[in-house]
Amino acid sequence: MKKTGIVFLLLILAFLLVWPFIGPEYQVYLTLSFFAYSVALLGFNLLFNYTGLLSFGHALFIGVGGYTAAFLTSRFHIPYMEVSILVTILLSGVVAILIGLICVRYIKIYFAMLTLAFGMLFHSFLMKTYHLTGGDEGMSVEQPYLLGMDFSSMDQMAFFSGPYYYYSLGVLILASIAMWRIVHSPFGLCLTSIRDNPDKAEYLGIGIRKYRLLAFIISGCFTGVGGVLLAPITGHMDPGMVFWTHSGDMVFMTLVGGFSNFFGPMLGTVIFITLRDVISSYIEYWRLIFGALLAAIVILSPGGVIEVLTNLFTLIRRKIMAGENAS
Amino acid sequence: MVETIVNILFSGIFHASVLFLVAAGLQLVFGVQKIFNLACGSFYALGAYLGIVFVKYFLSVGGPPVLAILPLLAAGFVLAIIGPIIERGLLRFVYDRDVHFQLLLTFALLLMIEDIIKLIWGTYPLSTQGVYLAFGILDIFGASIPVYNLIVIVASIVIAGIMAHILSNTRFGRIIRATSDNNEMAQALGININNIYVKVFTLGTVLGTIGGALVIPSTAAMSEMAVDLIVLAFAVVVIGGLGSMKGAFVGALLVGILKSVSFAVYPELEMLLIYIIVIVVLVFKPQGLFGTAT
Amino acid sequence: MEKNRREFLKTAGVGVLGAGAAALLGSQKAFAAPAKGVPKGPVKIGIMGFQAGVAAVPGIAGIRAAQIWADQINKAGGILGRKVKLKIEEESKAKDTVEKFKKLTIKEKCDVVSGILSTGNGQAVGKEAEKIKQLWLSWDGTTQKGLIETQPKAFYGFRSVDNELEAVAGAITTAKVFPNIKKVAGIGNDYSYGRNCWAAYKRVLSMYNPGVRFEEGIFTKLGETDFSAAIDALAAKKPDLIMSSFWSGDTSIILKQAAGKRLFQKVKGCFTTGGGVHDTLKKEFTPEGLILGYNSLYFRWTDNWPLLNEFTKIYHQKHNAYPVYECCHAYFTLQAYKAAVEKCYGLTGQWPTKEQVVEALRGINVPSLSGYRGYRQDNKQECCFFMGLTTHKNSYDFVTIDPVYILPSAMIQKPEGYTFDQWATAWEKKVKG
Repeated sequence: MKKTGIVFLLLILAFLLVWPFIGPEYQVYLTLSFFAYSVALLGFNLLFNYTGLLSFGHALFIGVGGYTAAFLTSRFHIPYMEVSILVTILLSGVVAILIGLICVRYIKIYFAMLTLAFGMLFHSFLMKTYHLTGGDEGMSVEQPYLLGMDFSSMDQMAFFSGPYYYYSLGVLILASIAMWRIVHSPFGLCLTSIRDNPDKAEYLGIGIRKYRLLAFIISGCFTGVGGVLLAPITGHMDPGMVFWTHSGDMVFMTLVGGFSNFFGPMLGTVIFITLRDVISSYIEYWRLIFGALLAAIVILSPGGVIEVLTNLFTLIRRKIMAGENAS
Repeated sequence: MVETIVNILFSGIFHASVLFLVAAGLQLVFGVQKIFNLACGSFYALGAYLGIVFVKYFLSVGGPPVLAILPLLAAGFVLAIIGPIIERGLLRFVYDRDVHFQLLLTFALLLMIEDIIKLIWGTYPLSTQGVYLAFGILDIFGASIPVYNLIVIVASIVIAGIMAHILSNTRFGRIIRATSDNNEMAQALGININNIYVKVFTLGTVLGTIGGALVIPSTAAMSEMAVDLIVLAFAVVVIGGLGSMKGAFVGALLVGILKSVSFAVYPELEMLLIYIIVIVVLVFKPQGLFGTAT
Repeated sequence: MEKNRREFLKTAGVGVLGAGAAALLGSQKAFAAPAKGVPKGPVKIGIMGFQAGVAAVPGIAGIRAAQIWADQINKAGGILGRKVKLKIEEESKAKDTVEKFKKLTIKEKCDVVSGILSTGNGQAVGKEAEKIKQLWLSWDGTTQKGLIETQPKAFYGFRSVDNELEAVAGAITTAKVFPNIKKVAGIGNDYSYGRNCWAAYKRVLSMYNPGVRFEEGIFTKLGETDFSAAIDALAAKKPDLIMSSFWSGDTSIILKQAAGKRLFQKVKGCFTTGGGVHDTLKKEFTPEGLILGYNSLYFRWTDNWPLLNEFTKIYHQKHNAYPVYECCHAYFTLQAYKAAVEKCYGLTGQWPTKEQVVEALRGINVPSLSGYRGYRQDNKQECCFFMGLTTHKNSYDFVTIDPVYILPSAMIQKPEGYTFDQWATAWEKKVKG
């Protein structure tokens, strides 16, 4: 990573560390969703950007994570966040293997549609097994213990802007480092080479399906963990979180931010969450605006906002350097 | 027993005939342009809403209810204008991009059209009056079938026939097939691909809008109808095989009749059954029953 | 028939009529100054309802009613001289709904939030309200899980009547109007409301009509537009009566498609809450003699209730439609809030805290669009349900009901401290003597 990039990241990190002290309470609360979705999108984008597979059913893994947290905290009274995360990684892995074995035989539209079908199958399953999952009513998620510590005596908002905030941030940092290492490892390079030229990769002896399946499993686990992080913010999980339009939201975030950049999807979550929060309070027809925005991004700037920003940044830097040279 | 079978068949075929129209539009566009149009359900919804407007006007100026099929078809055809607008205004910019962007563009369309419908017509369920039952009810083998359902079935079969004729016997049809088989070759042979894309997308759109317009007297238009239908249409084309007209036909019949049968046998299975079949088909016959792609 | 209806009004105990007019036609006051001891600035009221999807039908109706209410109150001088300002937010899936609820509370600093329709969202927001200590007056969202109350000791949350009330009312009406039926089939939406209604209906009807047999219920997904197959399946069971808890566009669709298959020529019907979309139930396909239920607001029950008369007029002028039940839910919660604040002020001379408003809301009884409505000591709403038989004898193109039976929730809702099951068992004993 370039030096400027590292400086920039550290600045953002420093800002996030002090944000609960300087930001308005509600905006700090929204930041929790940003952390959770960012973790989820790390997984999503491993498939989309690095493997070239668009999943239109990734909300399924949000559901796996969220419902795991719901079952553990409110049904089995196991409030430990770490247990929820570990169980989710396990379950997401199992689900991803089962679905992945079928899905990774396909690419492009077929893969997108098949994942959509599985997402909706899971949605129907949640609705039909209402004795277990509460059906449309969903399930309650109790406030979790973090690192074994019970914060239930704490005011809810204090918990969100204190312990839970830093916990989520910590998970995001760890997940980002892990994903960074994955995509820059030989494994990651294999994925991109499969994406760019599957025939050649096959010729070089890379087992395409095996790699795609592995990517799908890792992706599912990350998105699952994102789901666990999301669950306590609302204190409730419902099948709406698994509906295919929610998968669409995730695609939207990734694209708006910029899928081809490692940090693009994170910027996308900020844009999505903020825009939606602001626009939907003023305009009933926010879907129209979001649709138009998505269309504009797809047509005009497929690299997303982050690409526009980096281009702008280099342009300014060049101008400045040109100015310095001239003087 | 006979009554039950007749009922299951006609309910299933009626459902299938509407599904077929939407799925046929989806297939046509996918076959030629390789775009999976998530907004096809939205075209269907637009057809339904405009159909209501046209029928209301038609009846208010004294048009006889039994001719209401005319304003409905008119609504479907008038909406052809959105075909070129969307194709020229949006889709043409992404043909050379990754297929995912094309899918996402249609997702954007779906979001926009949903709100545009809400903006114009609100969210209250709307319907036509005095059309559905004006055609009477046919009693056969103890079962009662609304004649309007039969008209929709016949209309759908006629449209299927016309489509089959166009595709196999006309120059336009040959060009479509050539383009869907090998786009570059077709271009090399001097086919104006832009022209074909506009026409095909418009035709695909009209199939959807006519589907929506025809079905509306029997039901009511609601804001959710687009999103709900796309899932079913999707099941149809996956089962039938992406890009295949024959696949759309058989897939629609299968989904329609299965839905009917599951209601008669075990209603709880309904939607679940359709997803399961989609997955089973994809596992064992990945290209669908009539598809060629992998 | 008119006499008949009056009789029912009397027996139902909804005696004190006309009082509501005063609230509505109250003197026009300018915002000179807030009363003494009242803070300056407007009262902020958060409003939450669905604005998209199937549930947008009642959602938007409720929001419209809230706006009409606010206009009227502001014209009449606000609450204790404070202007009312509505902050409207969209209800959608639980996560976004809770976020918006928080926004209204923390960022917008609303004094109260009125709204929420879905039961699932009700559970989420109900829990949330207690945690962030925000006053929440629900329109339709109960905090039930199935037939079980999940928050029997709510403090800040004031819940709507139980989900299954319409079905209980429908069962009582069925037993009264069609005492001789032997076999009943049911169809509802494929989610908890549909299933709970069917369970409650079966339970109550079999108390009064022990010989009745019930077929397996059929449940279709919310937003379904083709019921041909479901109608065939219902007809194949050869029932004497079909019960349906549909409340949305599907009510008119199934009635229309049923007419195409002559279903209700042979079979009786009970649509427990189809009155929610009453003006879509056109005469051309809705037969006479079906049981049709209206949840808490029968728009035509206007002859001696000026509040509703006036409201229906304004609503129709403004939106070219007739009001539905959600209007009364919204209107009542806001009326109750205003009355509670004024009650507290009368005692202390100060604008009350949220906790004081809670105490004042318990046991409150105010005139709303469908008659008097109130809250019990356990924060649960009380109101009346209107059931009757469909008739074509009116000047509209849709059906109305005649006679009108009024069933107060005191009669059909489980009392404080009881589960549905305990209550039904006790009731059954009484019926069987």
